[in-house]
Amino acid sequence: MVNRVMETNKFKIQAKDIHAYYGTHHVIKGIDMDIKPNSVTAFIGPSGCGKSTFLRLINRMNDYIEGFTKTGDILLDDKNIYASNVQVEQLRKEVGMVFQKPNPFPKSIFENVTYGLKIQGITNKSDLEETAERSLRQAALWEEVKDDLKKSALALSGGQQQRLCIARTLAVEPSVILMDEPASALDPISTAKIEELIFELKEKYTIIIVTHNMQQASRVSDRTAFFYMGELIEYGKTKQIFLNPKKEKTENYISGRFG
Amino acid sequence: MNPIEVEIEKINDAVLEMIELVKAQLSRSRDSFMNSDEELAHQIIHTETRVNSLELTIDKYCENTIARFSPVATDLRFVVSMLKINSDLERIGDYAESIADYVLNINHKLEKTLMDNVRTDEMFNLAIEMLELIADAYATDNSKKMKKLFAKDKVLNQINKEKSQVIAEYVLANPSTIHDCLYLHSTIKKLERVGDHAKNIAENYIFYSDAKVLKHKK
Amino acid sequence: MIKASTNQWKDQLFRIYGIGATFFGLLILGIFLVGIVIEGFSRLDFQFLSSLPSRLPGKAGILTAWTGSLWIFGLTSITSIPIGIGAAIWLEEYSKKNRLANLLEINISNLAGIPSIIYGILGLEIFVRMMKFGGSLLAGSFTLSLLILPIIIVSTREALKAVPRSIIQASLAMGATRWQTIWLQQLPAASSGIFTGIILSLARAIGETAPLIVIGALAYVPFVAKTPMDEFTVLPMQIFNWVSRPQHGFIVNAAAAILVLLIFVFIMNGIAIYFRYKSSKKVKW
Repeated sequence: MVNRVMETNKFKIQAKDIHAYYGTHHVIKGIDMDIKPNSVTAFIGPSGCGKSTFLRLINRMNDYIEGFTKTGDILLDDKNIYASNVQVEQLRKEVGMVFQKPNPFPKSIFENVTYGLKIQGITNKSDLEETAERSLRQAALWEEVKDDLKKSALALSGGQQQRLCIARTLAVEPSVILMDEPASALDPISTAKIEELIFELKEKYTIIIVTHNMQQASRVSDRTAFFYMGELIEYGKTKQIFLNPKKEKTENYISGRFG
Repeated sequence: MNPIEVEIEKINDAVLEMIELVKAQLSRSRDSFMNSDEELAHQIIHTETRVNSLELTIDKYCENTIARFSPVATDLRFVVSMLKINSDLERIGDYAESIADYVLNINHKLEKTLMDNVRTDEMFNLAIEMLELIADAYATDNSKKMKKLFAKDKVLNQINKEKSQVIAEYVLANPSTIHDCLYLHSTIKKLERVGDHAKNIAENYIFYSDAKVLKHKK
Repeated sequence: MIKASTNQWKDQLFRIYGIGATFFGLLILGIFLVGIVIEGFSRLDFQFLSSLPSRLPGKAGILTAWTGSLWIFGLTSITSIPIGIGAAIWLEEYSKKNRLANLLEINISNLAGIPSIIYGILGLEIFVRMMKFGGSLLAGSFTLSLLILPIIIVSTREALKAVPRSIIQASLAMGATRWQTIWLQQLPAASSGIFTGIILSLARAIGETAPLIVIGALAYVPFVAKTPMDEFTVLPMQIFNWVSRPQHGFIVNAAAAILVLLIFVFIMNGIAIYFRYKSSKKVKW
């Protein structure tokens, strides 16, 4: 019995036979995937392979896309996130997202980082200040911005902006963080900081990162999933994928001998 | 061609050259030792510098490939294996040189019966056969052939184990030959080590090529 | 070589043509302005602004006209802004991109191009006759609201469209609802663009005459409007009325009234330009 309980709690996210379509275009073709809590999972694959679409299924960001349909279920903590009683806003507080290009709101740093609380109706000043400091510290940005919280977020550097976006996501205390190529627009130093951050955040969060940078995937992730033409070709421990991939397609892709 | 393939090809050619060179050194050390050919011994010692410089070259190629191309998967396994194989080969080269050195230090030609009793010639031949196997398997990219090498290593170990007893008995009977017999003892020991390094080479090679085997099973 | 020099020559020619075209327009406008100022500037005084209309040009003023214009300005703003922005938000953010939406979109763009006199006839039928507002301020401002709604909707939509999707995505991904995203992110970010559109369309409403004539605004109103149901006149009507009279004194009055109207419109355009400048400076996405 104890074993059964352990079994059901083993995975944070489970995808079951996901198919997705843009209109009649079949972009995800039957993907099953289990993701363990407190792990970093990297999604790799050529552009248009469906990895970003799959990522966005996890916080239902595809819902607004005209003509988008999907079949199959995604379970978060064993609950179907596409069930009719699920409030999508509630889901997104649980599953945060960081985008490819840093996208802070054109407001102050403080307003950015407390936005999530504001939309939940929290206005208590000390609560907001506490959360702002906590999440900025978590995102390793506090020391750099603590004296200019009132300054526009757009005045920050690209790397700082991206860490602000991470802090903003952390402020609402999600349990999963989706990152869509979070460092692709950043210089190597900022990239290193983001990667360091991912490594630290793993302690508390389940992280999924889409990346085109093979080295980044191999550096930060515990497990790697290789997508190709809407299919999950190979999914395994990162070490295994990068040292000894089982599928020739994976090998060709990661070693840059594609096509 | 993918740029990394140029680098891999360079490493591949250099390692092939290294194998041939070390094999030749070992085989000459046999001739030199068995025939007490001091002239050949000098040549071996002279050629050792080539082995050393080739080792450095291979290291340089591997470092360059890692630094510039961040190899993954098969490429990564290849470079890592070659780095290790390279140092194993270099050690084998060292042993060939050591044996040549012993040839120059031995005062009197060792008695044929003693040589036969410790199976010196058989030992040399086994070690050389192992290197031939490596050369052949490597050149034809055949990891099955590499696996044949493990049986030979076992025989080498066996001969090595028995040698001390045989030599000790001989020395007790002929105490004046102790100086030369020690060199014989060391030579056998070196050849046993050659076997160990050859075995390492085979293992590293299989580590590199194993994924390919699995891949074809798909 | 020959080819290159020909191209250069053509380039020069076009440059000269461009300069000529620009200065031609400016010259005409300049001549007009100078004429108006020479004619009407001396007539501009407190008496002119604070007097009721009169049969004598020297005693006549534009009090009823400019207060009427102000009334129209206020009432039109109150009706057209919320409706325009609301419609634009719905069209831009909520409506499905289907055939109905396409039809609506095309029609709204077309409405912006319909001659204003048609709106006057529409207003006459609906507001004056069916709803029995008569020739009142309310009927006038409703009609003008209809006239400028398409412009407000189109410009608001453009402004909303210019807000980067990444900001909207960020807000939604934080767990904000559609409305929170619109209210907290899109409208503030689009505000300067929206204001620009609103002010420019209101400036147009202020200058309109034709639809107001159709719905029955009067040229001669001897009292200042107190409620939205009162009869009214506006500056352009007053000007129209004066220029059609034979006495030279009224022509001078008309010139002065034109100056007042122009100043009003220039100020509004100035505000619009300020907002546009601010929006281009404020945010670098």
